Amino acid sequence: MSLANPQRAASRVWLPLVFAVGAILLGTLFGFGMPAYIVFVSTSVLIAMVSLLGLGIVTGTAGMIALCQLSFASIGAWILEFLYLKTPLPTVFGAASFLVFMVIAGLITAVLGLVIGLPALRLRGVNLAVITLGVAAAVDTTVQQLGFPDQSTAHIPRPFGLSSDPNGDRGYFLFAVVITVVVALAIYALQGSRIGAAWKSVAFSERGTASAGTSVRTAKLSAFALSAFVGGIAGCLIVGQITQVNYLTFTPINSLGLYVLSIVVGSQLIDMALFGGILFVVIPEILKQFRVPLEWSSVAFGVLGIQALTSNSNLGTGVRAALFRRRRLREAARVEAAGDVAAVETVAEAPIPTGTGRPLLIVDHLTVEFGAVKALTDVSLVVEEGTILGLIGPNGAGKSTFVDAIGGFLPQHTGTASLDGEPLRGLAPHQRARAGLRRTFQQDRVPPSMTVGAYLRFVTRGKADPAAIADALQFFGCPDASIPLSVVDVGTRRLVEVAANLAARPKLLLLDEPAAGLSHDEHLAFANRLRRAPEHFGTTILIIEHDLDLVRSVCSRITVLNFGEVLASGDRATVLSDPKVVSAYMGETEML
Amino acid sequence: MNIIIALIVGFSSGALYALIGVGLTLMSVLTRVVNFSLVAVGVFGAYLSIRSAPLLLTLPPAAQTAITVVIAVIVAAIVSGILGWVEATWLSEATTTARSAVTVASLLLLISLSFILFGSQPQPLRPLLIGPLFLVGQVAITKVGVAMLVAAIVVAIATWLIVSHTPLGVRLRAVSDRQTAAELLGVNVKALQVGVWVAVGAVMGLCVSIIGNTAAADATSMITLIIPGTAAALVGAFKSLPLTIIGGLVVGALQGALTAFPSTTQLRDWIPILIIVLFLLWNQRKEVWDVAR
Amino acid sequence: MSLKVTDVVVRRGVGPVISGVSLEVHQGNITTIVGPNGAGKTSLLESLSGIIPVASGSVQLDGQEISKLSRRQRSLLGLKHVEQGRMIFPSLTVRENLKLTARTKADFDEAMSLFPELEKRVDSLTALLSGGEQQMVVLARTFAAKPRYIMIDEMSLGLAPVVFLRLIPVIQGIAESGVGVLLVEQFAHLALKIATDALVVTSGHLSYHGPASKLLEDEALLRNAYLG
Repeated sequence: MSLANPQRAASRVWLPLVFAVGAILLGTLFGFGMPAYIVFVSTSVLIAMVSLLGLGIVTGTAGMIALCQLSFASIGAWILEFLYLKTPLPTVFGAASFLVFMVIAGLITAVLGLVIGLPALRLRGVNLAVITLGVAAAVDTTVQQLGFPDQSTAHIPRPFGLSSDPNGDRGYFLFAVVITVVVALAIYALQGSRIGAAWKSVAFSERGTASAGTSVRTAKLSAFALSAFVGGIAGCLIVGQITQVNYLTFTPINSLGLYVLSIVVGSQLIDMALFGGILFVVIPEILKQFRVPLEWSSVAFGVLGIQALTSNSNLGTGVRAALFRRRRLREAARVEAAGDVAAVETVAEAPIPTGTGRPLLIVDHLTVEFGAVKALTDVSLVVEEGTILGLIGPNGAGKSTFVDAIGGFLPQHTGTASLDGEPLRGLAPHQRARAGLRRTFQQDRVPPSMTVGAYLRFVTRGKADPAAIADALQFFGCPDASIPLSVVDVGTRRLVEVAANLAARPKLLLLDEPAAGLSHDEHLAFANRLRRAPEHFGTTILIIEHDLDLVRSVCSRITVLNFGEVLASGDRATVLSDPKVVSAYMGETEML
Repeated sequence: MNIIIALIVGFSSGALYALIGVGLTLMSVLTRVVNFSLVAVGVFGAYLSIRSAPLLLTLPPAAQTAITVVIAVIVAAIVSGILGWVEATWLSEATTTARSAVTVASLLLLISLSFILFGSQPQPLRPLLIGPLFLVGQVAITKVGVAMLVAAIVVAIATWLIVSHTPLGVRLRAVSDRQTAAELLGVNVKALQVGVWVAVGAVMGLCVSIIGNTAAADATSMITLIIPGTAAALVGAFKSLPLTIIGGLVVGALQGALTAFPSTTQLRDWIPILIIVLFLLWNQRKEVWDVAR
Repeated sequence: MSLKVTDVVVRRGVGPVISGVSLEVHQGNITTIVGPNGAGKTSLLESLSGIIPVASGSVQLDGQEISKLSRRQRSLLGLKHVEQGRMIFPSLTVRENLKLTARTKADFDEAMSLFPELEKRVDSLTALLSGGEQQMVVLARTFAAKPRYIMIDEMSLGLAPVVFLRLIPVIQGIAESGVGVLLVEQFAHLALKIATDALVVTSGHLSYHGPASKLLEDEALLRNAYLG
């Protein structure tokens, strides 16, 4: 049941291309059939759409606030004009100059975007907002004083020798359609790719992203740089449309308007970016007809923006939710069915894995302090290759702190840890993940904006082929790869997280209460599967768990933490019958 | 010598940045928001208040001024209060980013409304204080500049006194520490938060009335003073009021210093950005994650 | 006079975490809820105090329906929730923590008298106290508000057993003063010993509801209740 339907997969590849060709055909008919004024305005719509698409990557997909989209456009426009008017390059590239310069301008803008984004590296969304607002104002005044290379006297030639009259407008509209379609296709493809998954993941959880072996920094910077690139392209398109620009074309208030509009429509979605572009251009055009101040459109966007933000929704997801409700219900039903399978499916009883006896993870004198509080004191333990080690202890004993420290999230600890002979000190969480040390979280860190399959591709960093992904999902009785995670309940999401991290085939996987939220029957099924996991995936496992039955049935060795110290460590039977453990963990009767 | 004079030239604007920064920091600590609309509400109140001038012609000048200022303060407080109410009602548990995003939307709304109502032409927004207080060599220290610095310091000290020495302050700190726990103890979180918005809005309305059109000619360019204000607040990491005041003065002084070199006027507008960038680079040496665990 | 919960359903994300739980807490009595981790105990308390919404069912405080009221309103009606994990206000001193809730000097003094050992730390920031002292501050702070019903979630979390033992008689004292106490605990035995009624929650359902003594006497019953 988990095997992907090959026909469906093929249609996924071709469908966007069919859409693209259709859009270009429609654009041709539109451009040569409609009145000149409408065609000109429609070009503006497309340019706004491209800007919104770029912005959608940062605000929609990656969840940050960026307020300088038109500054990028103005920088792109400036560079394009500079290349045309101040360099001999136009003679070199001839009719293709515009296209070549547009790409160059986009690339330079992207580099500038990187420079701006770099200091806000671990950008909390707000820091990026502060910095981009500043950039918007500074670029505006700079361009105001510096002026554009055209100096309001020269006109920039349009691409491929198109004329600057209404006839040329029609040709240029078609050019804009093609560029827009290419940008939209590229963004669509990127959103479905691993980097797109990284953006979605980072918007949901930075920790989850790093633990999947993806650098949070790279994910955010790439989103911002790509958005700047697309912004630069949009600026070039404006130059081609009106052939002469000044600073008023790119005023910062319109950047604010674009940001708010991007929030309102959800411009990470292609169709919604088009809709946003229509709103952005057509509302002011209508106001112009009625001689109403154009700023009323911004007032409206502001109100819509507040509404969208306070209700935490946008038009795009709202429309989709309404359209796809039936499909979602069907998918939810499929998830239910898969869950049932998980519960009743009987897996052959497997013995508790005993391992090779070689030490894989060696932790020596690990101490973690939060201010004056010692969360972990002098913790030493060894995990042998191929085994499942249980880490137990009462709530607040420091188990999750241990996983955080080994996972690289608490670099200020003392003591050492090494994996397979390699010391872990100094490695960031995503580097540890790549070195074969994975972890799962007690909290839900599975981004709901992806499908199950996309999440597994992301976590395995593309190393698992569709068959391996289907295998890992089936191994844990998880929902099918095509199911969106948003319809999967939290308990099952945690299972998907475990399956994904095992499919990445790390040397060691740290599981932090993976079975919380599962029913008792599911617990037993999970234990059965977990016993086979070390052999099946070649992964050694350390599991934190409250349910002692589960621990008893999967672990060969157990370490008990109490108040941040190792209370007992050894083979299962000895530890569980140790009176110290009994009194610390459950038998508090003796205290009375 | 020139440079020292130039530094002093930047004092007035620096003091204003410091005051805006203090407002931002205060709101960030007490209500978890970076309020991009902070200056906009003050400007909106002040510009709307001068619309009342035709109705007040029969009154003595002093009364005219007083009523105009009161109107400015009330309008700014109300607009700010409405925003605060929106945040406290629908986004009480949202992240700082989401809460701040709302103020971006309201900033857009207020800028465009100001544009429609007040136009882009310079307005006769008379400052309450005119002229220099004293001279340092050839350079005048303006009354407005001193008033802004005094206001920034007064607001900072008053905030500190209220927060650390009154029952109201205990509640404010409790809400700032753990909002949910405070609610569970019966603290009226919403009223406190809206109260902070109203108070800060009123202060901004008053301050914009005092500075009048000395800092910028029209409403829109005045609203953009929020940018050097955020730079100042960032120097205090949106936490420390004294550092924020110093930050504002430094941004102003640097901008003033650059006036000594006419060839560098381009750079002036980039000073806040540079400060922001340098500060962020310094502040983020350590790894920080989105959530504590 | 009671806190009466009828058929309460709580949803988190997609599925229900509490499905159809009913219980009643009487003033002056201690009711203990035990159950395995992840069973939904905390979610149940959170829905009663209003941190998360009740999807269906009714919550009545002395006959008044409160399931649609805000957290603050429920708190003002006398239902106080002591959250898991010692939710102190770190930037407040011990005195300020108590003054936040105590209406009169007498209330303040009465709350302080629960824990004389806090006297010498009364002007220290709560952030600087030990875990046990912080838990005392949280309890004293809640008691100073003169609650009618008090729900305490995992008081023992991360505390040494000796500290927990110190707190137990205080809880008994609070109940004897006429407050209805709803106790959620992982240290089942101790918490059951001081309770009159007991409930076991497993996977969002009540699997036992009856006298605490019966659950204590019958080890097998307790074990079965835990394992569902």
